Amino acid sequence: MAERKSALTDEIRVLIGVTAERVEANLWGIEQEDLRRFTQAIMDPDPRYWDAAFAKTTRFGGIVTPPIYCTYLSRKTPPGADDPITRAFLENPNSDGIGGVERAQTRGSLPPIPTDLKRILNAGNEIELYKYPTLGDRIYSQAKIADVKERVNKDGSPMLIITIETTYTDQNGQLLCILRASTIRR
Amino acid sequence: MVTADELRKKPQLHYDDVAVGQSMPPLVIGPLTPTHLFRWSSAIENWHRIHYDQSFAIYHDGLPNILGQGSWKQSIMPRYLKDLCLPDGWPWKVSFQHRAMIVPGDTITCWATVTGKREQEGLGYADLEVGMRLQNGIESCPGTATIVLPIRGGRPVPYPFVPPKSA
Repeated sequence: MAERKSALTDEIRVLIGVTAERVEANLWGIEQEDLRRFTQAIMDPDPRYWDAAFAKTTRFGGIVTPPIYCTYLSRKTPPGADDPITRAFLENPNSDGIGGVERAQTRGSLPPIPTDLKRILNAGNEIELYKYPTLGDRIYSQAKIADVKERVNKDGSPMLIITIETTYTDQNGQLLCILRASTIRR
Repeated sequence: MVTADELRKKPQLHYDDVAVGQSMPPLVIGPLTPTHLFRWSSAIENWHRIHYDQSFAIYHDGLPNILGQGSWKQSIMPRYLKDLCLPDGWPWKVSFQHRAMIVPGDTITCWATVTGKREQEGLGYADLEVGMRLQNGIESCPGTATIVLPIRGGRPVPYPFVPPKSA
């Protein structure tokens, strides 16, 4: 019986610890309208997100965002960019809406993990919180390939668990939160 | 669901009032609908069709229905811990796995049980077992968390939060 080939290759191992450039995560800083849409989508009516007079009386001293709001900002398509949705469906009319919609390699992004394991599942998250951003704050992120582990599926096929650690700071360098997101590739 | 007024007036939970084995007040959200899922996809610009295109989810990906987003659950859990700590505590750490799928019709209950407590540098730390249980009892998001609560008569929890030197 042939020995199973490891999915955790040397080419992948050398990527562990690779850190991307620190980049600004959003275009215009923390905005109230985007905050409204987000807080309604997580069904959180906390007045600290929208009632400026009340928020001023809290320990935060003003309007703040939900705990990990700042981690979603960099996913948005900047204005003037080539429309990724139109492009994805022109290239593949049956696009899943995410594969072809992915942005091209940009500043602040990590190198792709070179593997034939294409199916991606969200495995889990580890979050540390230090401060909530407030309106007008500018958010910066820096990503790192924190770990890659190999595991075996029930059917004997290999899978990789990839952990990306992203650190979020504000315009003053104040640490906001750290997100470690693990995905399964199989 | 909790209301804005309840969050505005929420009394502080103190470290002194927390005991190992104690269950924290749950947060119930649902039943979720396709519209809730679509609102989240739109808010964060996640265009993966398995979250809003039922034909694609079922016939292309072989799923039972469109799926609730892991990214949504990822935001709900710290939101729940934030509520527990208001107004002056701090939801320092949480980690959890994504297990059972969430689909339209599901109602989720965020829950937390105290598994440990300790004082460090004048602050009260409570370790929690946390999760997001579906209406049929299935656990969708098991994990652990650490929250920081003020001790009666003690110093305020710093903001921005500063972890203990021994952490």
